[in-house]
Amino acid sequence: MLYLELFIQGFVQGSIYALIALGLTLVYGLLRILHVAHAALFTLGGYIGVIVTNATGSFTLAMVVAMLVVGFAGMLMYKLAYEPLLSKPPYVSLIASIALFIAAEEIFRIAFGPYGLSYQTPPLQGQIELFSDFYLKYAEILVMGLSVVLLSALAWLSMRTRTGVAWRATVTDPDMARAFGVKIQNVRYLNFFIGSSFAAAAGVLVALLNNLVEPTMGSVPSYKALAIIVLGGLGSIRGTLIAALLLGILESFGTIYIGHLLGRDAIAFAFLILVLMVRPQGLMGGKL
Amino acid sequence: MKRAKIISAVIMGGLLSIATGHASSIKIGFNVPLTGFAAADGTSALNGAELAVEQANAAGGINGDTIELIVYDDQASPKEAVPIAQKLIEKDEVVAAISGSYSGSTRAAAGIFQEAGVPYISAYAVHPDITRAGNYVFRTSFVGEVQGRAGAKLIGETLGAKRVVVITLKNDFGKSLAAGLKESASDYGITIVSEYEYGIKDRQFGPIVSKVKSDQPDAIYASGYFFTAGPLVSQLRAAGITVPIIGQEGYDSQKFIDIAGAAAEGTIITTSLNRDSESSETKDFIREFERKTGNKADMVAASAHTAVKVIVAAMRKVGATDKVALRNAIADTSVVAATGTISFNALGEVLKDVQVQIVKDGHWHEHSVISDSKLLAPPNQ
Amino acid sequence: MSYEITLLTTMAISVLFALSLNFITGFCGQISLGHAAFLGAGAYTSAMLSKAGVPFLMTIPAAALCAAVLGAITGLASLRVRHDFLAITTMGVGFLFVGIIRQQDFFGGEIGIAGIPGSGFGKVRFMLICVALAFTFAAFSLYVRRSWMGFVFKSIADNEDVTRVLGIDVSRYKLIAFIIGTGTAGVAGALYAHHFRFIGPDSFGFVESISVLAMVIVGGIGSVWGVIFAAALLSVLPMLVQFIDDYKLLFYSALLFSMMRFSPDGIAGLCTRLSSSISRRTTESDGNKR
Repeated sequence: MLYLELFIQGFVQGSIYALIALGLTLVYGLLRILHVAHAALFTLGGYIGVIVTNATGSFTLAMVVAMLVVGFAGMLMYKLAYEPLLSKPPYVSLIASIALFIAAEEIFRIAFGPYGLSYQTPPLQGQIELFSDFYLKYAEILVMGLSVVLLSALAWLSMRTRTGVAWRATVTDPDMARAFGVKIQNVRYLNFFIGSSFAAAAGVLVALLNNLVEPTMGSVPSYKALAIIVLGGLGSIRGTLIAALLLGILESFGTIYIGHLLGRDAIAFAFLILVLMVRPQGLMGGKL
Repeated sequence: MKRAKIISAVIMGGLLSIATGHASSIKIGFNVPLTGFAAADGTSALNGAELAVEQANAAGGINGDTIELIVYDDQASPKEAVPIAQKLIEKDEVVAAISGSYSGSTRAAAGIFQEAGVPYISAYAVHPDITRAGNYVFRTSFVGEVQGRAGAKLIGETLGAKRVVVITLKNDFGKSLAAGLKESASDYGITIVSEYEYGIKDRQFGPIVSKVKSDQPDAIYASGYFFTAGPLVSQLRAAGITVPIIGQEGYDSQKFIDIAGAAAEGTIITTSLNRDSESSETKDFIREFERKTGNKADMVAASAHTAVKVIVAAMRKVGATDKVALRNAIADTSVVAATGTISFNALGEVLKDVQVQIVKDGHWHEHSVISDSKLLAPPNQ
Repeated sequence: MSYEITLLTTMAISVLFALSLNFITGFCGQISLGHAAFLGAGAYTSAMLSKAGVPFLMTIPAAALCAAVLGAITGLASLRVRHDFLAITTMGVGFLFVGIIRQQDFFGGEIGIAGIPGSGFGKVRFMLICVALAFTFAAFSLYVRRSWMGFVFKSIADNEDVTRVLGIDVSRYKLIAFIIGTGTAGVAGALYAHHFRFIGPDSFGFVESISVLAMVIVGGIGSVWGVIFAAALLSVLPMLVQFIDDYKLLFYSALLFSMMRFSPDGIAGLCTRLSSSISRRTTESDGNKR
């Protein structure tokens, strides 16, 4: 019973990681940029979720608003921060992204105060009993369900629509795609929009699970997501998803059984280094 | 006529202060986390300290001189605290200082203040080594171990629980509390079934909650700050765990109740601030703090307020120029403040009652008081 | 005067630390996001030896050795990965270091090590020791840059595959860069421990690694003078501009971002461009005078 619970918790945590890491891998696949500031969008999503829910009482509305607003914020970030740096060496955009992330955390603290915000009436409390003494919280069901829905929608978009084809073409070979009339700029905007809105969804869900949003809530996901996309193989969406779920489950069991050896966050990196030593291109990465 | 009197009084006062050369202000240093993960507690502590300074100045300052609080943000980081301590001593030349910060930075700074002979009071940082830095360092709040021992008595005797699970925050705060509990556990018939640890950044406690549920304890002793305790308590209750949860002063904030919501009901903590206190000091502080900031008072604010009061009382006795005399005056303090009657032992530790508070109807209220002076005796060296 | 000496000591230690990273990242092009781990390795070694009674000066080589061994291991690990993978792997090493230190009470655990004895040299002479060490390594860096080893480093930084094709044992040179860079960081760590008299796992985390990388990049990656200037300035800036205390992180990150946006080759790059535009203008005006 304990093991099943740990497994489900790991799966829930992994779903959150997946939603966050996905945006990161989308950006990397397209632009080869390590978009550390992505985690700031996660935090922003959480804040908007709580504020809108407290103001209107509707959690659904909050989720939609958060995803839309943060999607646009992500596009703005691309336009103002990354586009001018595309021609520079990769460490430039990495440092710029880190600087952006620190600035964002500070702005959250200054704008919303250091105390953090909570839901006035937390939505989706309560749980259902699946079988003897094993409960599943509504919030947990939502996390898993929403992740599946969003990721399937993404898969459908990229496989079954013209936009999706244009997008995959641009990732594979931008020049060729441009030659075929694909507007690269729009593909990039779409890329950032989707990745950022997924991060926002993750933020709203985490706010629901913890009933707390804080200015620094993005700092752990920021580097953990980096570990996840490298683990999965930089640029591979499937690899990222697998790595995310795997890490969630590993952490769940790891905190109980090897917690006295390694802190929870260190587990992610220990696992990463181990895998990279055996498979330097990550779990599903292509040839180096 | 009245206006002329006032004007001449002001001029006289001004001339007098120039003549006696007391035109400068008295500087008290204050290191506090205003940014970073501890910013919430730091902001609250700063408000408490500022309130105390305002009140002291309104009552005439120190023989007419105004008190000035020199505040620096140490981000609750020892790395930041050390240069701040050096700056307060060497550049700002403070006559005394207070730490409104956590144990890590307080400990780092304490050594610097001791070496420079500047009296330093730890408002609420609990690590035992802080006062061991020397005779210039004092603490107005409990040492971690003392509070842990009080927790043992509370759980074993008052609540009558036998099998206890300990959930410990992995830092000096959590660890010293757990050490105190474990030290006195057997004296009160408590068996510690298991201990789990978590990091200060954790907010998802699923694995620990599941394991605790399978342990089936009679009570849970969990250390943390409101931003970890809130989610933890909420998740424990959501998993169907109904046994008493005992926390400590890290929970002591309305924010804990905001985060945990209904799950917070019935949570018991050992702390220094009694919201239902009959003492006029405490009642005044709670009222004035809420009026000044719009927020409810909490332990860190009360402790910072108390620390300022102690220094001001000492300064009123011996003035604010001779640091040695000031240090001696502080050592001989006996002051009634928002967090109780403050007086120090040879190590600079305080001996006072432990307030036990419980969440009832969404607010902190008095549960009981632990007054066992033998149990609560702080270390002497 | 006392406060200024403290500031100078802090600056010297930061300069040494930043130059050590410049050796690895600036000279050899191996981006490292976990350099604070080596500062930490040196600091912990030195602190623990010092508390056990070993004289301060003797803890320095021990600190350097410990950090260099860790650096060699990291270097070996880095041979298998490149660029972005390397960045993340080094970041992972940093986290692993802190994660392990935190858990072991032998190293003081969460609480860290306090009451580290003074160097025994007094404030002024300790400051001079730090400055001397920073100076020495700066001179060494300048020397290496002009030497054959520096040439190979630059070649590896520019294009690793071509360098390998030319018959150079790239792995060996990368390892050398790591060992020298991390060993020196260890020395800086020993100084750090005796300056701040208190170390804990939080002193050597990801934020530290990013800060020192920022110093290198703002100074101008590869430029010894640029890095010295940037490290000296950025290490004491927060102290000097205390009035912006509440906004200091915002200010710092805005500065960093602007630097990346407008002058990614750092202050050194700015200066080079400035001086070449000035000399261009003078030659032009000379030309016009004819």
